[in-house]
Amino acid sequence: MTGSKKGLWLTTALLAPTTLWFLVMLILPLVVVVIFSFGDRAPTGGYAAAFTFDQYANLASRLKAFTNTLTYAPLGTLMTLLVAYPLAYYLAVKVDERWKLLLLVLVIVPFWTSLLIRTYAWIFILGGRGIPSLLAMIGFEDVRLINTSGAVLVGMIYGYLPLMVFPIFVSLEKLDKRLLEASSDLGGSPFRTFIQVTLPLSMPGMVTGCMLVFILLMGEFLIPAFLGGGKIFFIGNALVDLFLQSRNWPFGSALAVTLVIIMLVMVTLYMRLTTGSKTERDQSVM
Amino acid sequence: MRFYSIAVYLFLYVPIGIIILFSFNSGRHASDFQGLSLKWYGKALSNPFVLEALTSSLIIAFSAALLSSIMGTTAALALQRMKGPVKALFDGLIYVSIMIPGIVIGIATLIALVTVFDLMNPLLASLWPEGEKPLRLSLGYASVIAAHTLFTMSLVILLVRARIEGMDRSLIEASQDLYATPAQTFRLITLPQIFPAILAGFLLSFTFSFDDFIISFFVAGPNTTLPIYVFSSIRRGITPEVNAIGTMVLGVSLFLLVAVQLLLRSKNKQKTNIVASNSSGE
Amino acid sequence: MSKSYKENQPISAKNFMDEFRRYQKGSVSRRHFLGITGLGTAMAVLGTAVPGLATRDAHAFGDVGNKMILSTWPNYHNPVNIEEFTKTTGVNIQVNAFGSNEEMLAKLQAGGAGWDVFVPTNYTLSTYVELGLIQELDLSRIPNYDPNTQNPTFAGPATINGKVYAIPKNWGTTGFVLNTDKIKSGPKSWKDFFDVTMGAGSGHTIVHDYQLTTIGAALCALGFSFNSVDQGELAQAEKLLIASKPHLFAITSDYQPGMRSGDAWMSICWTGDGKQLHTDMPEMSYVVASDGGELWSDFYAVPTDAPHLDAAYAFLNYMQDPYIQARDFESHGYPTSDSRVDAMLPADIVNDPILYPAKELMSGLEFGAAKTLTDPGRAEVIARFKSA
Repeated sequence: MTGSKKGLWLTTALLAPTTLWFLVMLILPLVVVVIFSFGDRAPTGGYAAAFTFDQYANLASRLKAFTNTLTYAPLGTLMTLLVAYPLAYYLAVKVDERWKLLLLVLVIVPFWTSLLIRTYAWIFILGGRGIPSLLAMIGFEDVRLINTSGAVLVGMIYGYLPLMVFPIFVSLEKLDKRLLEASSDLGGSPFRTFIQVTLPLSMPGMVTGCMLVFILLMGEFLIPAFLGGGKIFFIGNALVDLFLQSRNWPFGSALAVTLVIIMLVMVTLYMRLTTGSKTERDQSVM
Repeated sequence: MRFYSIAVYLFLYVPIGIIILFSFNSGRHASDFQGLSLKWYGKALSNPFVLEALTSSLIIAFSAALLSSIMGTTAALALQRMKGPVKALFDGLIYVSIMIPGIVIGIATLIALVTVFDLMNPLLASLWPEGEKPLRLSLGYASVIAAHTLFTMSLVILLVRARIEGMDRSLIEASQDLYATPAQTFRLITLPQIFPAILAGFLLSFTFSFDDFIISFFVAGPNTTLPIYVFSSIRRGITPEVNAIGTMVLGVSLFLLVAVQLLLRSKNKQKTNIVASNSSGE
Repeated sequence: MSKSYKENQPISAKNFMDEFRRYQKGSVSRRHFLGITGLGTAMAVLGTAVPGLATRDAHAFGDVGNKMILSTWPNYHNPVNIEEFTKTTGVNIQVNAFGSNEEMLAKLQAGGAGWDVFVPTNYTLSTYVELGLIQELDLSRIPNYDPNTQNPTFAGPATINGKVYAIPKNWGTTGFVLNTDKIKSGPKSWKDFFDVTMGAGSGHTIVHDYQLTTIGAALCALGFSFNSVDQGELAQAEKLLIASKPHLFAITSDYQPGMRSGDAWMSICWTGDGKQLHTDMPEMSYVVASDGGELWSDFYAVPTDAPHLDAAYAFLNYMQDPYIQARDFESHGYPTSDSRVDAMLPADIVNDPILYPAKELMSGLEFGAAKTLTDPGRAEVIARFKSA
């Protein structure tokens, strides 16, 4: 049939640029990184061709960066969720229609100043001349906030809050309010209504929001660098360090490969676990 | 719950307020306030490096957004017609390109391109006509745009595909029944329906690219984008100039937002008018 | 003070004549004379206003483009100089600050950094030359540079295989700065530094994000050489650093903000930064450690692929002017190796014990060694310490 042949030709043509992009900008770099990860560090830094597992054997020396990332990223995601959920709920269910859009937009506006500048503002707020100086006035001397794990967590929540608020808002918004009424008519306490009706219905939004935030936090570099004072190292920081200080490309490549594998495994598992809660549809909303 | 929400908004806006406040600082250091002044706005606007960084960022963000809207849309249209392993392969690639952290993309692209350029440049030089300066491949705008487009293109594919799936098929069938050519069907039926998704994809891509630091940091070569400029300003001791830049960017985005909102509102009004007149005509 | 170099300070008729005679004798440069007397500024203004009156210097600048990129260290330039350079030449300078030589090397090695001038330290120059990353300088384009007035101890590393690859910027020592309001025990050595860090000053110390100084400090505290690449010694240094890590405030080479805000009480520190802090906050005290440390000199160098070479030379020449150097020194507190500059400085600076430490302290200091830059052992130690 000429029709389907023509269709095939069209499909190929439509996909050609994307295919090219994936080949040159995704597959090629990943292949190079994998090859480099089996290489050696050249004497003055960079890459020297070799086939060795030394780089992977050395991964244990960055154990803390892995454990840091794998603690802070889930913890930061959870805390962002906890901060975001009530706000999303309030916006979706409680707020008058007239104000809804405005309030929603106000959640994203801070996003339009660069993450760098926003994080810098926190350096000031948490630094000696910010909150600690206010605390000193009421008698708490020498409180240190900046360069602590708390500071890094605050920065993480601040950095990615809107990404969590939005999907949850969207799924709560779709929620049929008559369900809530029905539940309370049937004598359900507000708490039971929330647990049995609202929470399950907002699950897809939570799943999406958590995944977005988690993915970004796993590759985070700026927030720990700025608010952790160079002391709290994520894999991202270890990577930047290997490329921009130690000039150890092969080891950096091995670290990058490992990070990608960890993320693939975790995200795939996460999606497997959460399918059934209508992830499919919600993902396309994202 | 209302108090809680107010607290969250405060949390969101106190840092922004501080950025804006310090942009009017007349002192040299961003951290101690010495009086009100507009001088850092003047400094920022007359600093050729700020303007250059801004121009680079705009060029890169616009190109990446445009490329990814076009390629993402065509890919989504193609994928929607496909089944089987090829489609699964593409789905996998889209998934991976969204999931890989920017820092890995930046580093991987850097070492891949540097390696390829090191191979290609001597080759190009040997093939180049005598006496002329041979073309030298190097990191620059193109590499940043290409790296940004990888991620944003996948974003557009997801958005457009979701829209196509939610689309009313009956209209397309009706159009085909009425002997419209596929091109006509696309132009008159499909495109208008998926357009909001393309627009959303464009805007998201633009925002992502404009704000990206880590990918650009690795692959921009000698070019400076606005986030790179801000990063190096922070490292050499921040001056209120950076606050002024941030405030201006915020101001412009707010202005555009309001403008778009007003535009859409007037359009919506027209639409509802039409709907109203149609239903009254029935 | 006849030797005052301060800008815009009126000059008396007698001083003017003294300076004029010195100029005629040839003991000071024309530019120095113009700078001292304020005639330079006047000429520059006239020159830009009336093209026909453009001075020879302005001509020498010629059309050198409108921009260049300078990669340097934090708090290392007098903003007045940078602004004046832009005003007289039309070249805008983008200043990038780096916290370690390794970071600069990494950026240049990755290619296409786009820098025109950067500021490497003595021990790195031979590696840059070996890797072909910096170019030989054409001294005829830097007439303000006078090799005969340079102190060879500091200027020496710029000459490699008989070719000059860099010109001296400033020199200094690496010690530590402490806030004496907070730390009363008066630490004198690197050993004391780490003891205080892990004791009374816990949570308030900054070490550099820089292998040479941070590992060097730990090595000195243990009684080893600042430059050691011995595996056993490095392992001990790493242990000390990792043990101190929970007690640190930050790992950063930009330590002034932390010290100024009061969050940090003690930091590894370079001379001039110590001087800057001490000037603004008298409780800040700079210490050259009794158990060793670094003596260093920094240079201006030009990367092989510098895109704005003319601007780079104009800048190098401008920065070698003794008057400009003195003005830089005044602002950042790092001495120069140029005797012409010393001659222009007021006595209180020349006798400053922070800037010119006593002989017996100096004799314990070492110049950084080239091997530390590329030694994989040191690179790994600092990286493991940071990610620990």
